[in-house]
Amino acid sequence: MELREKLSKKPVKFLTLLLTAMIIATASAAMYYSLTMTSTIQVYAANVYFKVGTDNGTKGLVVTLGTKNTSATLTGLRAYPNATFTYTNPVRVRNNGTSNAQVRLAPSLNPSDAVAANFVYVKFLLNATAVGDRRWLNYTSNGASWTVPSASGWTTLAGSGTEWPIVIMTMANATATAGSTVTIGITVDVD
Amino acid sequence: MLPEFFALLGIDVFLMLSLLSCLLDDRLPKAIPYVYQIGALVGYGHLLISKEFFVIFGEYMRFWYCFIYLLVALANIVAVNVYFAVARGQWGLAKIWSGAVTFPTIVISMFFVSNYTSVQEATLPLLTLQVGLVVSALVMGVSICLLLSPEAMRNAFRRERR
Repeated sequence: MELREKLSKKPVKFLTLLLTAMIIATASAAMYYSLTMTSTIQVYAANVYFKVGTDNGTKGLVVTLGTKNTSATLTGLRAYPNATFTYTNPVRVRNNGTSNAQVRLAPSLNPSDAVAANFVYVKFLLNATAVGDRRWLNYTSNGASWTVPSASGWTTLAGSGTEWPIVIMTMANATATAGSTVTIGITVDVD
Repeated sequence: MLPEFFALLGIDVFLMLSLLSCLLDDRLPKAIPYVYQIGALVGYGHLLISKEFFVIFGEYMRFWYCFIYLLVALANIVAVNVYFAVARGQWGLAKIWSGAVTFPTIVISMFFVSNYTSVQEATLPLLTLQVGLVVSALVMGVSICLLLSPEAMRNAFRRERR
């Protein structure tokens, strides 16, 4: 019996079609499953968080940490006309994880130009132990508007409880109006 | 439920048609089972396209091209039914086919489409779907009754032979 004749027989034809049907059905079901696959996201405790620095309660500064210490609000920061005023240890960034973390400073809430005439600069320094690891974020005013900086470069914050302070330097304009305030938001990005 | 489910349903309908038409190859053209297999492969192509352009194509567009594919598959079932009844004049086979294949498939499809439209944004008029579902269920019920009642079936075939 020739092959063609054998293949034309009903059971063989049916089995062939059944086999290909099963292959197509399985491949299609697998394709559909790959479309419906869902992601599972697990919540982890943040390894990098803020800590209140020793400047808290001094020089008018009040540091308030948010839930889980992942945000910090600093109020009462002072700026003096034509004089640099520095908070060397207002708030600290701590890496409590076992591995290193890449961190940087980035602008979040930009200051209003309406009060730009009263300030010269507000500078934030992630004060790493090694000079080369330090990162700056400087907001400067030309008297009419603020110059918003771009995000600083990444730097490596070692794990196992390493802490760096964020130093804040301020200077008000020589002709600044007393009592004028500015609000600035920055983020500490962690990679 | 993703709109691609209708493409998957359409593929299964084509594969079922392919196997059934192979079993009834003395009543249908020889190439029909293979044509339906190609139809199922086209559905697989639908799924591939959906996966590649998942973000670009909106849900609305994906629903419609998958739904149209399912409609084509269902239309083929009906076409085979009509072919048996009209072209071949085999009323008995056409009745069995409508009771065992056409209406169950349409009912299942209607159920999933109505389920999809009630969960997602209503893209089809809901009343049409519900009416279709009720009609299909009624016809299927009658067909099952006829199928399970040997007397009625015997009488029907006897009348056909005369």
